[in-house]
Amino acid sequence: MDSTTKTRSGRHLELARTLDEEPKRTHRGRLKEFLDRRVFNSATLFGVIPVGTAFGHFISKLIALPQLRKLTVGEIPWVPLRKPLSESTVVLLSSGGVHLRSDRPFNLNGDPTFRIIPKDAQQADLAISHQAYDKTDALRDINLVFPIERLRELEAERAIGRLAEDHYGFGLMGSAKRLMPAIREVAQRISESGVDLALLVPA
Amino acid sequence: MGLLAREIEARGVTTVGLALVKEVAVAARAPRFLYLHWPFGHALGEPGNIAQQRTVLHDMLSMAISAPRSGLVVELPYRWRRETYLPVDDWKAPSESVVSALSS
Repeated sequence: MDSTTKTRSGRHLELARTLDEEPKRTHRGRLKEFLDRRVFNSATLFGVIPVGTAFGHFISKLIALPQLRKLTVGEIPWVPLRKPLSESTVVLLSSGGVHLRSDRPFNLNGDPTFRIIPKDAQQADLAISHQAYDKTDALRDINLVFPIERLRELEAERAIGRLAEDHYGFGLMGSAKRLMPAIREVAQRISESGVDLALLVPA
Repeated sequence: MGLLAREIEARGVTTVGLALVKEVAVAARAPRFLYLHWPFGHALGEPGNIAQQRTVLHDMLSMAISAPRSGLVVELPYRWRRETYLPVDDWKAPSESVVSALSS
């Protein structure tokens, strides 16, 4: 693969590593890339609805709000942090479709499962399976949707006590109800693993 | 993310979530949310901008120790690229962004 690539602004940027296997570029590929970026804004939901735009926000609300109204009745839970940050164990969760490259990818049209990502996962070990946002930047820097490198730094600097051994990735799932079993399983695992603080990052 | 935060916190673990759609963050009725008016796929900011990413993480940690009650959605003031992200010098102290949002 080329060590340089053209960015949207046309500048040449040194790419240390990209996460996707880059397919061989053809004229048709270039045209498609142009259309995706400039015309379709690359990311689509269910392959049709463009997102990452004002319209994408509208669609997110349209899909999420009625479901949330049904699923979030009752008291909002509340657990104050029981230790100083410098002694707390922290877990990271992302709905950006992040998973180990060696693991099973998420179903792009909706996936009600989760993936475990170990604390020492490197950028090259990780992939993104999600089609509802423009992944271009997150593939260059996984920390945008899964800030594991930043958290390892905070652990080394003793800003936080410890990073949990296992972290969690979710993909795109339109039906919140169908995702609930996976959500409950992850919540249970976290509560049983001695974690004090969970940080959640969206797509 | 909101439903996940609720289930985790219901089992005894403190949670802080980031959100890029304000209405969804509010409707999720999660314990602690920070809202950023940033593009999808960029919850922590721009690729390679470590200071920006650390700023957001500091705000998340600050929310964990400073939020006075459940259900708050704090809007962070950052204007994407038109912002200077200073290095965080004291991780024990809550961030100015979160403190000032909570006191207003």
